[in-house]
Amino acid sequence: MDQPTTNVLLIEDNPGDADLVRLRLVEGQSPVKVNCVNRLSDGLASLARETPSLVLLDLNLPDSHGAETFRRLMEHSPNVPVVVLSGQDDEVLAMKAVHHGVQDYLVKGNISSKNLERAMRYAVERQALLRSLEIAQKQQLEFKNQFLSHVSHELRTPLTCIHQYVTLILDGLAGPVAPDQADHLKTILKSVNQLHAMIRDLLEATRAESGKMRIEPRCVALGELLQQAVAMLRPTANEKKVGLEIGLDQRLPLVQADPDRVLEVLINLVDNAVKFTPADGAVMLQASLVDADPDSVYISVSDTGRGIGPEAKALIFERLYQDPDSVDNNRSGLGLGLFICREIVRLHQGRIWVSSEPGQGSTFTFTLPTYSLAKLLAPVITHQNRLRSDFVLVRIELTPLSNPPRGNWKETWQQCLEIVRRCVYLDKDLVLPAMGASGAAETFYVVASTDLQRSGIMTTRIREQLERVSDFKAKCTLNITTMPVDLQHAPTDESLDQQVQNVVGCVTKMILASMERKYLSAGKSGQNAN
Amino acid sequence: MAKPKILVVDDDPDLVRAMRLRLRANNYEVTTATDGYSAIASAQKDRPSLIILDLGLPVGDGFVVLERLQNSDVLAGIPVIVLSARDPQNNEERALKAGAAAFFQKPADNDELMNVIRVSIGPEGAQRAAWPS
Repeated sequence: MDQPTTNVLLIEDNPGDADLVRLRLVEGQSPVKVNCVNRLSDGLASLARETPSLVLLDLNLPDSHGAETFRRLMEHSPNVPVVVLSGQDDEVLAMKAVHHGVQDYLVKGNISSKNLERAMRYAVERQALLRSLEIAQKQQLEFKNQFLSHVSHELRTPLTCIHQYVTLILDGLAGPVAPDQADHLKTILKSVNQLHAMIRDLLEATRAESGKMRIEPRCVALGELLQQAVAMLRPTANEKKVGLEIGLDQRLPLVQADPDRVLEVLINLVDNAVKFTPADGAVMLQASLVDADPDSVYISVSDTGRGIGPEAKALIFERLYQDPDSVDNNRSGLGLGLFICREIVRLHQGRIWVSSEPGQGSTFTFTLPTYSLAKLLAPVITHQNRLRSDFVLVRIELTPLSNPPRGNWKETWQQCLEIVRRCVYLDKDLVLPAMGASGAAETFYVVASTDLQRSGIMTTRIREQLERVSDFKAKCTLNITTMPVDLQHAPTDESLDQQVQNVVGCVTKMILASMERKYLSAGKSGQNAN
Repeated sequence: MAKPKILVVDDDPDLVRAMRLRLRANNYEVTTATDGYSAIASAQKDRPSLIILDLGLPVGDGFVVLERLQNSDVLAGIPVIVLSARDPQNNEERALKAGAAAFFQKPADNDELMNVIRVSIGPEGAQRAAWPS
């Protein structure tokens, strides 16, 4: 039988070992071509040019040692089969490499042409199997996404019809409705809304799973969001006679987060908490700072329900998980809520976890990054460890011309924000995250390392680009103002950190002064965060 | 003053009937179509003040209808509100680019929908409220 040539990349710096392996390869039955290099960097360079059938890898090379060697190689070329050549005293490390995903290892000194050939052949076969499994999984995921997207569309159509007719009758548009009948209709409407929420979750979870979920972080005061969540769930809690309270840390800084998404997480957690708390129990929402982790705000939702057992605790954030003990609590949804929460928190670079003792209630906690102007600004207002010289603050205000705004306002201002981001220099200007909850008028701030005169070029560019947005002038008015950042005192002996803080302080003051009064209280705590 | 006329386009006749009842109760005159072709024909004949348009339609889907409307001098000015069960993530931007004034996913909130209808029809149908600054 005519066998195909096996192309081997041998990465081995000891000439004696390399020759021995080469010899064993030539002795084998099947045709082999060997490319031998003695440094990992040369190996990676070779892999970048062409893909061999497999790699034979010594772990101790002049430019890389031990575990680092296979980690770097596999990160560079995850799909190439690797067989490690280990020393006799190194089998533990070699086993570690196998756990990390290399196909096999051979102990130097015990290499025969037969076991080498066999190891190589199996390595190639196994890698090929693994690869086709990966492809199949990917296709399956894609199919599942398409299927769910289709199903959710098909489910919405009859649901819309039910929704329309129920609201039609409830609103009295089909004749007078007796109070009893109205109550029954409200029950139907509640179930319709639950079904609607499930369909939304289904699509949302699919999106999270395939990495298509997006967030738009803003500078947000958490207190307002907590209050919104509580206001939305107050009726349900009252109905169940469950107390619902908020505890806010007075020092609470602003956070950098997508307010709509965070509200989604809060509603989900509070809704669950209310659901699993018996009458006369209480649900508490808290936002606080933890001294050991000053860059995060901790938001927790505690209940006085019956708690969660250890097995459930480990799985509760997984997709489709249902606590077996709560199945009797029939309308508990699809088991997607906490999975979606986890994905949203993860997109914010936060963490989410639950602590609970059976019978003692549970506490769900998640973290969000604090909004720190200093951290955001430092990279752009300094250059080679020195503060740049001139700064201006540009304020771009978009005010919709009608209420509600024409078209999709969120889409419009996000498009505008993208345009503004493209109009600045990434290394010396910064478009700050939008402020407050997204609502009607949107204000963006740009801190630019430039003087007042040259900033005119930037603002002209921004104005021209924005006015090209389709229908821009029919949708909103644009107001751009430029203010120089006046650093009152700048003693030269200040450390760079102090100089940055000085700029941050000035910029914060200017933003606060130019903002509406309703943001003032939130902004004051924001200063502490900087 | 004559009531503003709204053309409702949806291939589900039950939904069309419900929409007609609700819109009439809100003081609009209503005409209807259940496919893309008759939607255009009806728009040409009736010259509605606003069109509520589904995307999945027989004989020319919602996007075809949007394109036809945009390409017509006399019809391009009619505001179109898309009301579809499709995923907004894939369809909202496309619909707005094709000329729609707004996108609602089914089932839509009635109050929000009525509000956007009122604003889109403009001054003769409803007063334009200035956004509080």
